[in-house]
Amino acid sequence: MRNCIILIAILLQACSATEQEIQTVKSPTCDLTYTRYQATVTGLCQEPKAELLANVPIEERKIEIRPIEEIPEIFWYSQKMSYTLVKQQGEAPLAFVIAGTGAAHNSAKNIILQKTLFAQGYHVIGLSSPTFANYIINSNNDQMIGDLTKDAVSLYKTMQIILKDVQKNEDIKASSFVLTGYSLGGAHAAFVAKLDESEQQFNFEKVLMINPPVSLLNSVRILDSYIDIKNNRPAISAMFDRIFERFADVYADQESSKFTEESIYELFEGADMGDEELKLLIGSSFRLSSSDMLYAIDSIYNVGAIKYKNHQVSKFESLTDSMHRANTLTFENYFDKGMLPWTQNIEPGVNRDELIARLSLRSIEEYLVNAKKISVVHNADDIILADGEIEYLQQVFGERAKVFERGGHMGNIDRVDFINYISGQFAGAAL
Amino acid sequence: MKKFQPTCQLLLVTVFALLVSACSSKPELGDDAIPPTVALPKDTNEENLNNDILDPFEGFNRRMYYFNAKADEHVILPVVKGYQAVTPDFVEKGVSNFFNNLGEVPTFINSVLQLKIGIAAETFGRFAVNTTIGLAGLFDVATPIGLEEQQEDFGQTLGYWGVSSGPYLVLPLMGPSSLRDAVGASIDMVAFSAAVDELGMKSEEEAFLSLLRGIDTRASIPFRYYASGSAFEYEKLRLLYLKYRELQVAR
Repeated sequence: MRNCIILIAILLQACSATEQEIQTVKSPTCDLTYTRYQATVTGLCQEPKAELLANVPIEERKIEIRPIEEIPEIFWYSQKMSYTLVKQQGEAPLAFVIAGTGAAHNSAKNIILQKTLFAQGYHVIGLSSPTFANYIINSNNDQMIGDLTKDAVSLYKTMQIILKDVQKNEDIKASSFVLTGYSLGGAHAAFVAKLDESEQQFNFEKVLMINPPVSLLNSVRILDSYIDIKNNRPAISAMFDRIFERFADVYADQESSKFTEESIYELFEGADMGDEELKLLIGSSFRLSSSDMLYAIDSIYNVGAIKYKNHQVSKFESLTDSMHRANTLTFENYFDKGMLPWTQNIEPGVNRDELIARLSLRSIEEYLVNAKKISVVHNADDIILADGEIEYLQQVFGERAKVFERGGHMGNIDRVDFINYISGQFAGAAL
Repeated sequence: MKKFQPTCQLLLVTVFALLVSACSSKPELGDDAIPPTVALPKDTNEENLNNDILDPFEGFNRRMYYFNAKADEHVILPVVKGYQAVTPDFVEKGVSNFFNNLGEVPTFINSVLQLKIGIAAETFGRFAVNTTIGLAGLFDVATPIGLEEQQEDFGQTLGYWGVSSGPYLVLPLMGPSSLRDAVGASIDMVAFSAAVDELGMKSEEEAFLSLLRGIDTRASIPFRYYASGSAFEYEKLRLLYLKYRELQVAR
């Protein structure tokens, strides 16, 4: 049942949340059987975790970009755009870190990257993904979310506003700039870097794309296929029930009633999940992100797809029906029903295939081949890449592409080898 | 004071139950409002998808959720922050241990009521060791010697004996609950008060202890309202709470 989607997604988030808190303790590894799906869900727990700095001065900040009176009432808690600042003493290079699909500036993965860059001597600014509700609601973007070129324009403006804010109010002195992002944020980083070549506001010295999609449509079709709520609801419900029952059984047998990082690995070991089940969890986690994104888009653009058009939702109103509607929609539905008509309205000649082609690194291939400052790190078995795409990246980036053998999608982001690689990439620029 | 608290809670729960029907969570639509174009999936109310989430008090619950978020932001979290700022970490830990130790009393009673003899014995052992060697519970010496912390409350006991959770209920300040668990919590309060009684304190000292316990409890919960940034946080938390309780009851 869909209930469990949320439960498990939150469990997983809880799992990664504990990861960032327990740094000084020797972290446990697991005996789970490795698959790309398992690594995506639980992390590459078979390998040792990197020890990140424990006391990093992470500060959450807010800035008004869209006027507060324009923020829909239902997002009363989301007035002003949030971002994270990690500040060095004195002058230092500054790094921007862009979060992945539906993720916040302070998501567990973004924080891992921010700590890693801080350790290399950078001031760090963490940005939410342009697909995260708080960003959608507060950005000065007036375009459909997900068009990489237009997202980049919005991000670029936002980065300048935030930089001014920290220069003025936090006395940040930036000697130079670097940029990175993971997952969708990795693709955003490339498009922002390209924009910066003409705008020259930052002149990034180094840009690292971490596990980016190559073609957005290819990636979302893969993720959509993991959870077909619309046509397959009873089977999905049954599968969730079975997963939940096994979790309950394992939990009943565990020694303590507490959840710890170790006990969560044990839950997964005991539940002994098959690929289809793991794929369902991955698909649901992305679906939750997309539902949040769709609701924010519908609220700010008055689309009328999953909520009443021309209706200001009150802060006490039930959103449950809207959530059910959103949960039936795939990313590809959003592309066809949202992005495509929106784009065609502005640019009447554009057809579906042309828009698909735009939402791909291939559309800026020439730039990527020649931009020596940009590198890419990926996993050979990342689930979000279609056949041939990892080879494509290797061909475009040559020696600037680093490919790890395993890790699934972002499963190794906090592991020793991966963190060492990222630190190495940014070590030179800080000097 | 001790006797008043549980009765008071029960009364409050009853009052809520009466009040709740007055609050609506249905949209008040203007003339130009157009229904959503995406169809509401029909089978959410059939099958088992969401009809196991009983939330007839949603209008009330959402208001209470909002109230709690505001109270948290403006009163409770500042107090917790102040407490953490002035209190050395080892004292905070000691306070936490102390209340956890008193909390063994309801856990013990409830594991007995559920005929879970192993858990009851373990909890009794923990209480005995921590109260004596652990200096009235200030130190947790039981966990390192393999006596694991357990959690059983009267809501779980009712669940164990087949009482379903009933409607979802957001309690003032305490947050997510259900009709069953709210009743359970007030019963547990009696057991907890009995344990506190043994300490032989004056009533204002007990009031202080209650306050400290509230602060300690909040400090130990990392949850922050609306930190998820999701418009559907209420729905997600409702589901998480009820599923988590199912896991606990099944244990």
